[in-house]
Amino acid sequence: MSIATAPLLLEDTPLGPKAGGLYRRQNALVGLIAGVVLAAIGWVVSHALLQGSNWGSDMVVTVTLTCWVIGFNIGIGTFNAPFSWVVGKDSTREDELYGAGVGQGAARYWKYCTDHKVVGTQYFVLVMVLFAIGGTLAMMIRTQLITAHSSFLSPGTYNNIVTIHGMIMIIATIIMVSGPFANFILPIMIGAKDMAFPRLNAMSLWVVVSAVPPLLATFVLGGVDTGWTTYAPLSVQAPPAMDAFAICIITFAGVSVTVAGINTIVTVSTMRAKGMTMSRVPIFAWGSVVSAALGLYAMPAFLTAMSMMITDRATGTSFFVNQLGGAGWLWENVFWTMGHPEVYVILLPGVAALMEIASTFSRKPVFAYKAAVAAFVGIAALAIMVWAHHMFTTGWAPNLATPFMLTTELISIPTGVIFLVLIGTIWKGSIWTRLPMYFLYLFLWNFIIGGVTGIYLSDVPADQFFHGNMFTTAHFHYTLLGGAMIASTGAVCYWFPKMTGRMLNERIGKTAFWFIAIAFQVTYFGQFWEGFQGMPRRIAFYDPIFLRANQMSTIGAYFLMLGWMILLAAIIVSWRNGKIAPANPWHAKSLEWKVQTPVPLENFLVDPVVTSDPYTYGEGVPDGQNEPSAAPEPELVPVGASESSKGEGAS
Amino acid sequence: MSFEQQFDAIENEITEEGDAPPFFSRPGGKIFIIWLVLTAIGVVIGVFAPHHLLPGLQSGSGSDVWATIVFFSVLAAPVAAFVYALSFYSLIAWRPKKSGSSDEPPPDGPPQRGNGPLTIVWLGISTLLVIVLLVWGMTVWSSQQVAHDGALQVNVTGQQWLWTYEYPGTGVTSRTLELPQDRPVQFNVTALDVIHGFWLDTMGIQTDANPNENTVIRTTPTTLGGFVVRCSQLCGLYHAFMNNKGSVVTPTQFGNWLVSQGATTSAAAKSANVPESSLTPSSSSTTTAPPMNAGASQ
Repeated sequence: MSIATAPLLLEDTPLGPKAGGLYRRQNALVGLIAGVVLAAIGWVVSHALLQGSNWGSDMVVTVTLTCWVIGFNIGIGTFNAPFSWVVGKDSTREDELYGAGVGQGAARYWKYCTDHKVVGTQYFVLVMVLFAIGGTLAMMIRTQLITAHSSFLSPGTYNNIVTIHGMIMIIATIIMVSGPFANFILPIMIGAKDMAFPRLNAMSLWVVVSAVPPLLATFVLGGVDTGWTTYAPLSVQAPPAMDAFAICIITFAGVSVTVAGINTIVTVSTMRAKGMTMSRVPIFAWGSVVSAALGLYAMPAFLTAMSMMITDRATGTSFFVNQLGGAGWLWENVFWTMGHPEVYVILLPGVAALMEIASTFSRKPVFAYKAAVAAFVGIAALAIMVWAHHMFTTGWAPNLATPFMLTTELISIPTGVIFLVLIGTIWKGSIWTRLPMYFLYLFLWNFIIGGVTGIYLSDVPADQFFHGNMFTTAHFHYTLLGGAMIASTGAVCYWFPKMTGRMLNERIGKTAFWFIAIAFQVTYFGQFWEGFQGMPRRIAFYDPIFLRANQMSTIGAYFLMLGWMILLAAIIVSWRNGKIAPANPWHAKSLEWKVQTPVPLENFLVDPVVTSDPYTYGEGVPDGQNEPSAAPEPELVPVGASESSKGEGAS
Repeated sequence: MSFEQQFDAIENEITEEGDAPPFFSRPGGKIFIIWLVLTAIGVVIGVFAPHHLLPGLQSGSGSDVWATIVFFSVLAAPVAAFVYALSFYSLIAWRPKKSGSSDEPPPDGPPQRGNGPLTIVWLGISTLLVIVLLVWGMTVWSSQQVAHDGALQVNVTGQQWLWTYEYPGTGVTSRTLELPQDRPVQFNVTALDVIHGFWLDTMGIQTDANPNENTVIRTTPTTLGGFVVRCSQLCGLYHAFMNNKGSVVTPTQFGNWLVSQGATTSAAAKSANVPESSLTPSSSSTTTAPPMNAGASQ
């Protein structure tokens, strides 16, 4: 029989009609209905109890949206497994296979699916949806600013759009690499069958999904007119939309990022293939782990800050209200304790992905691998000590300006090592200019400008001019959009064939690239210009002296959006009708390219054995990352024998 | 060629041994030329552009901003130029023809896994640059922190969405900020409701106005002319409109302005540090047009 030579794929396992239990009835629509129903109940009850009290509306919004988040997660299935364990019922093998999406076809993408590849794909789509919303808001901001006194938006709407654009982009950028790629690609890269905690993995995704509606609800709850930094006491006085904002953050930062971060760290720590030592893992794994660890440090601060914010607003505490004995500076400290590490949470996995791209498309090993790892760790260590450079001009502790200037400028040393690694990898390589490589070059060109402008801001006397100024806005867009998001776009182009089974249309992709690359410079050089002239951030109307610079920026922004839309078109067209991708289109050496496409459930038919890192280009040695073949070699079997018992049912 | 031979060949190329071609025809030499050109462009832009982009600076701390930008740009130009030079060169020299449309990768490059001395040199240069930046920043910052005896005190109060300036000892409270030339000023900044950002862009100073807190910044205006105070901290609905005008005037004009705002001649003279006789007593309420914003240079 053919079964003897070709092992049955797990996803072809026939399941009984009752496999999965409650999961059979749950999907995103059920979650939506459950969330709305529970939110309605929460609203009726809290409204009846609290009407007329001092903080009634804040409490009602808080309770209602908390009910929405819990209801959605009940409906989608987040609580099924913990609840069934509480009542003493464990899931069977069939249930777990059902949970991993067996036999559900495309419907599994709408369900609480534990297969890491499904979660990665769901994240990928979610990130694109969030970028579409955030990008639309950005276009509204730039449209408002095309003339000095535009009547396109009212000042209140404008302020809310500024806030929500900021927050939605922060959420999207935090998950843009660690969502799609650390979930889909990372486990395969290290030779694991799935993430260490597949259910938590699905949870991290659906919790983000449930956190987005409260954020958008701010538009109908009065708006958050504070900017995404929500400085107190303005945010304590803000309309009830601020409670919705806080619920979104608590759900996203407090639950999703934390759970996802623990999952990544445990997966890389414990589920690596035989022979995959920490000095042989692809550098992307290091970037993801360090980023996740930094997130575990940073995100609880956001959770804490927003919880205190809610109590200030809904129960009358005064942590952050100066007039009542609190301190707005406390908010700023707690917020930036999260806020600065967070940008490195965003940056590191993208940079690590670029190192993979640099190696593959220069046909050379990653240059100074250990220095790269040290740079990641060094950046993470310094990142937690620089937060008060956001507070140089707040009046808080002027004596601490010098130490924070020191730590901030020190961080440019490990960041410089990242450039050394990327450039060293390109050096004398065979440059294969496929689409991912384009984005590596664009990253280098943009990020050096982002870095150089950062040193002006790190200098206290110059920051007295640039703080709260459009220069700052341009600077961090150079690092986060021109740097991190371009890196993640490179990662999309790189791993697209593995994730979708199709080749990305490079003709459309390269057209999009040129729009993005050029329009980006126009947009943000316009904003540097505004900043030099002295235009404050976050203003809806401005002095006509800033007109030219603003028009330059707005025109650039329209073309930038056009570029992203062309790229989105390339993704959609290729995903639907693209050329079928071979398993290893880039002739790369890491394990994710050694498995077949589409990747089967639990990834490997035979447990891989690793004898070197995946960067043996030009070294004339056999490929050290072995190729699991459909017909297992006898000598490979013993490895799987010990692994299979603990790996079984991982999905 | 065996792996060792290949590696030796590469080593020779790197260490430039034997009868290697002249420096400027080798990759390092060509990159050096591109780097030199780009650095020169960067330095020229860094030295000359900030002056044209910045608003007319009116104090020593404002000039510090300009000097810092120029100095940092000159330091950063070679660093950025290196990244650009190498990346441009790699695209020209190390990219096989039609590499962008090929489905097959080009042959493997040399297996360089790192270069210890290069890494150390790289770290050394970046550390040195950081030290220079830090020393510059600390020096300038400490020079700005010096409190002057006899500085003019101005109490600044921010509220949604306007600024109020009080000149202690004169009884003058104003919505425009008049400052005498060449006299150290100390701003005591606070707010009534939420956080605002008190920012004198032409003087390169900024501090937040926090409710129930007093924050202090200092400067010495040196150049006559008008300026605009803009709120730099999002403070609610009409944040964009929280601007008002100010100007730097001569001490005598300042004294006269105080008098026109209702100060007695003696108090105005004391505050403006000019002889009482030089001031025009405001005999009636005929508005002796205050010298506001004469030729705002923005």
